[in-house]
Amino acid sequence: MHLLLFTIYNSIKALGWHGAFELLRDGIVLGALYSLVALGYTLVYGILKLLNFAHGDVFMVGAFIGFGVLSVLGGPLNAVLSTVPLIIVMFAVSMLGSGALGLVIERFAYRPLRNAPRIAPLISALGVVFFLESSVQLLTNSTHSEYLNYPVYFALIKPAFTVNIAGTVEPINVIAILVVGTAIGLMLALMYLVNRTRLGKAMRATAFDREAASMMGIDTDRVIAATFFIGSALAGAAGVMYGLFNSDTYYLVGFAFGLKAFTAAVVGGIGSIEGAMLGGVLVGLVENFAGGYAGGQWKDIAVFGMLVVFLLVRPTGLLGSHAIQKV
Amino acid sequence: MFRRVAAFGVTGSAIAVLVAMTLSGTASARVAAAASTVSCKNPVTIGVAYPETGPAASIGTLQYNWAAQAATKWNSSHSVKIKLVKGDTQLGNGTSFAIAVAHAFASNGAMVAVTGPAGSQEMQDTSTIWHGAGLAPISGSETRVALTRSVSNPSTGPRETTPGYFFRTVPNDGQQAATAAAYIHSVLKKTKVEIIDDGEGYSTGLRDFLKVALKADHVTVTTNHITQTDTNFSTVIASIPAGTQLIYIPWQLSSQAENFYTQLHAAGKGSITVFGSDGTDDPSTFKGAGSYVTAFPYDPSNPVVKAFANHHGGNAETFGLPSYTATWVNATAIQAECAAHGNKITRAEVRSKIAKVQLSSAQGLLGFPIQFLAKNAGLFQGPGDLGGKAAYYIYKIQSNGSYKRVQ
Amino acid sequence: MSETPETPKKTPPAETPEPQTSRIGVDSWVAESEARRSRTPAAVLGRGLERTPDAVKLLAFVGLASSVPFWTNEGDLYIFGTLTLLYATLGLGLNVVVGLAGLLDLGYIASAGMGAYTYAELSSPRFGLHWPAEATIPIAMAVAALVGAFLGFASRRLLGDYYAIVTLFFAQAFLFFTNTTNPGNFTGGPNGLPQLDPITFFGYKLTSTKQIYYFLLIVMALLAVALYFANKSRTGRAWRAQREDPLAAEVMSIPVNRVKILAAVFGAAIAGLCGAILAAIEGAAVSSDYGVPFLIIIYAIVILGGFGSIAGVFVGATIINFTLQFLAPQNDHPEVKRWLFYGTIVLFVMAIKPVIRPAVVLAATVGFGFAVHAIVAATWGHAWTSGVPDSGGAWIARWAVIPRLDPVTGLGHGNFNNCVYIGLVVAIVATASLKGWWRVAALVPTLYLTVLAWENMLAQNGGITAYLLFGAMLIGLMAWRPQGLLGSARVEIV
Repeated sequence: MHLLLFTIYNSIKALGWHGAFELLRDGIVLGALYSLVALGYTLVYGILKLLNFAHGDVFMVGAFIGFGVLSVLGGPLNAVLSTVPLIIVMFAVSMLGSGALGLVIERFAYRPLRNAPRIAPLISALGVVFFLESSVQLLTNSTHSEYLNYPVYFALIKPAFTVNIAGTVEPINVIAILVVGTAIGLMLALMYLVNRTRLGKAMRATAFDREAASMMGIDTDRVIAATFFIGSALAGAAGVMYGLFNSDTYYLVGFAFGLKAFTAAVVGGIGSIEGAMLGGVLVGLVENFAGGYAGGQWKDIAVFGMLVVFLLVRPTGLLGSHAIQKV
Repeated sequence: MFRRVAAFGVTGSAIAVLVAMTLSGTASARVAAAASTVSCKNPVTIGVAYPETGPAASIGTLQYNWAAQAATKWNSSHSVKIKLVKGDTQLGNGTSFAIAVAHAFASNGAMVAVTGPAGSQEMQDTSTIWHGAGLAPISGSETRVALTRSVSNPSTGPRETTPGYFFRTVPNDGQQAATAAAYIHSVLKKTKVEIIDDGEGYSTGLRDFLKVALKADHVTVTTNHITQTDTNFSTVIASIPAGTQLIYIPWQLSSQAENFYTQLHAAGKGSITVFGSDGTDDPSTFKGAGSYVTAFPYDPSNPVVKAFANHHGGNAETFGLPSYTATWVNATAIQAECAAHGNKITRAEVRSKIAKVQLSSAQGLLGFPIQFLAKNAGLFQGPGDLGGKAAYYIYKIQSNGSYKRVQ
Repeated sequence: MSETPETPKKTPPAETPEPQTSRIGVDSWVAESEARRSRTPAAVLGRGLERTPDAVKLLAFVGLASSVPFWTNEGDLYIFGTLTLLYATLGLGLNVVVGLAGLLDLGYIASAGMGAYTYAELSSPRFGLHWPAEATIPIAMAVAALVGAFLGFASRRLLGDYYAIVTLFFAQAFLFFTNTTNPGNFTGGPNGLPQLDPITFFGYKLTSTKQIYYFLLIVMALLAVALYFANKSRTGRAWRAQREDPLAAEVMSIPVNRVKILAAVFGAAIAGLCGAILAAIEGAAVSSDYGVPFLIIIYAIVILGGFGSIAGVFVGATIINFTLQFLAPQNDHPEVKRWLFYGTIVLFVMAIKPVIRPAVVLAATVGFGFAVHAIVAATWGHAWTSGVPDSGGAWIARWAVIPRLDPVTGLGHGNFNNCVYIGLVVAIVATASLKGWWRVAALVPTLYLTVLAWENMLAQNGGITAYLLFGAMLIGLMAWRPQGLLGSARVEIV
């Protein structure tokens, strides 16, 4: 915590208030994306005690599905749909597609391994990572997907409103509001789902004790499948927004992004939804401020360093609960 | 206990035998591929070493597409046919894969010429293999000066390849940096410049040469870094020092250049000029108005380039153009040797013919005639570099996204 | 090598049980199932392997490996020989850490990188030191071991997944410091440290591929013997005990933390050795060599071979390296690749019992293919079916739909490939989800689509295909046999 404040202070000194504001603004947007993906990690880990390495690649596939919809419906010359319905369709298709992909992954890569040693699903996840990345590489011919040819992108990067910081006018773009707003909305919906619905109750019960839950008449297979669907759908939404925010997607973005989102989940407390939100924003801020203060190449290592520090000092994260180790 | 002794004894004697075999080290009885002859009647094999997978796959694919284009076009109009064999070097995942490709190509007795590899550090680590195999790769993207010339300021170390065993169809880092520095200082009259490199050898090499050249002109230079997988540049944009007038981006991915330009403007810093290296030269992707790009002077209205662009969604993928030229040079040398030597050729003969190939600018598609130097020339060029009129031109991107030559 | 080497070899291995005479209440077929299972070829082979003394197994492998240079040329020897041995040696070290001690170490490859860079600093023109290999290799091992000890000490209290993350951080930090920050130009940045000396042992310079191959073979054999005895020793037993149940091991007075650190040190030392040798072979220490893709290959080797099994590492290394190199695009034998691919698929199909079903499937696929080909040719015109596959054999174009490539640019009908691929994935999911004759019916279009995908996309992009099949192999292997080929099944107490 002190390190974070120290970095922030030095960044402000070095870059001026407006520079710090830019880092803050972009850090929150990035953090919102990390939170959404971290939610998927935390949900799956809570239920299966499994690190789903493939989650980052589900995020990547979601981004590409969104781009696919964009290229079909939002073409440069004759956009079939205008901006708002186009974005809604992108989200819908991407979330459904990513959710379906999550279901397939769970069914084929993880379900046969419920009773296998802990390392087997991890290896299977690695296999899924390779398979997904190579598939997308084949389908896209290893190229980057450019969002810049589509008018909707330019509609999104217009400033929604501007803020005057220490004399410089800083824009806050529509895309930033879209990302943060959608992320908060989805997270609130998830909290409602988990805390107020029967499915949510079943999920919490399965996470607490899978055997007892199945003995109580809960179909654990279906609950686990639903968890994967929800987590992957959230990742898909994050993917669409990531592509729009950065105007670029690439088949390799999944792994690194997934690792940082996992950091967010751990920092916030794995198994806790509020923790994932908090952790995501924290990781986004640290990444941006470390990059701003120390230089662009320090971003990844700063995030990793934060992860290690948390693991050594406070493994349950900020909002997680202490788990009693069963003997 | 006895079993342990017996185990050690047996293992020890086996090892003694192996040591003897190791120290003998004589070549096996099979004919070395380097000396084999290849018939011109069947399609002659040219290897293309490029990153098919790995972090640089997006630009490697462009190189192969153009090399394949050269093969198709050559075969449709020449009597000696060529066929391409791919080699996946996985640039960015280390050089061990490139070394494996070099060994595979070396042992392929039917192969007499190579286009590629793509990364300068790959050439650095495979040059002894190519030398031993008798192959002279022609690279379309290896721009490190030390591959053909040893320079003292900035210090590059000794020459990394054997003369005659390496050629390239791109001008090198020293030439490009000198061109850019002269333009930035004399024409644009900038005095505070930031260079942002992307961590790869191509980028850091250009950065080093440009820094030296600009400092000699008393320009203030600051540096920063990104990586090739970055798509979000908010941190580097926010840390641009106040008063910076120009940002030089020696990157390999034109999509990154365009993203950077867009995000720079979205952050309100559009007054800073962006200057890209030849890796960012891509009129279909990098369209930032008011930016500059160094590029070799290909002609976009050339029918070959236009046809290629049409079939690639309007994208001419110019990063791969020098690979077309390299493959064409290889094919020309093969054909010349076939004609001179009665339809059976060896690697050594093809090598000697490559050094003498001359292509017109229409054949080479690079905007200048192609010929290779045999001796050092200028400040940065050595044997294997392009000679003659090979140079970089500077283009300014207009408001409609088109490239207009300014030098 | 089996999981329980303590079993004295005098006790005969599992006897084939006597067939039961009929008794009331006992199904004779069920009662004889054990006997039947022990007569299958796989079981007989397994028993044969069990009975062979371990030394003989090692000597057989070493003997076979020593003969390889006599029937390959130099390039193939490097690709199929030296690389396999290198991977196997790295796998042996990882086997100690992950297989024997159960620590999921994702920073293993960075220890190799440390060894490589140490060798590079000491045996190159960099500082003018040209120390011979017998001095630098032990120093490289020591440096790697020290760093491994430090890492093990720092994370001694962490369990399973969290240990993995900390080691992953170490690996990323290593890459970061050697590649990006490169303090004081100590590590050469992204270009690494070039122009390293070849291995010089007591005055002998090892320069040719054959010499390096035999050197690696010796190192690997020595290492295998050392690990075999380590496995049988008290330390090995302690490692295995704390892997199975750390709490029980602690209670049985095994110093679990110290044992973990010892395993980390051991593994790191072996990695350092391999890293130094790899740097010497390449002639350069390039930091991006020691990254995640390399790590995944080593992990795949240990997993495929079976955790804790030394013989498994050899088997895994051979299979994985041969597959990767064979499928790689630079291996210019497209017809062989095609037949291997189809052959493997047919083998999998033939594994369906009863035997009538695979026969029906194969026949139906052939018929289905001709039908589709005719329909496409009739409705969409000749251009869609007149392509020539890259790997020769125009006959297959009469059966599989291969669109003709545009002669000017050499490109095919782009969306066709994407549709085929996505259709294939959907078909595979459907086939796996259905049962009985529905599954047989779904298998027919799946097989046809597989052929289409291979001819149109996968064969041309060998590098991507290799990793695709690699990923599929990992998933399938875990689903079928999580303990690997030669490992023994473990039940994990959660």
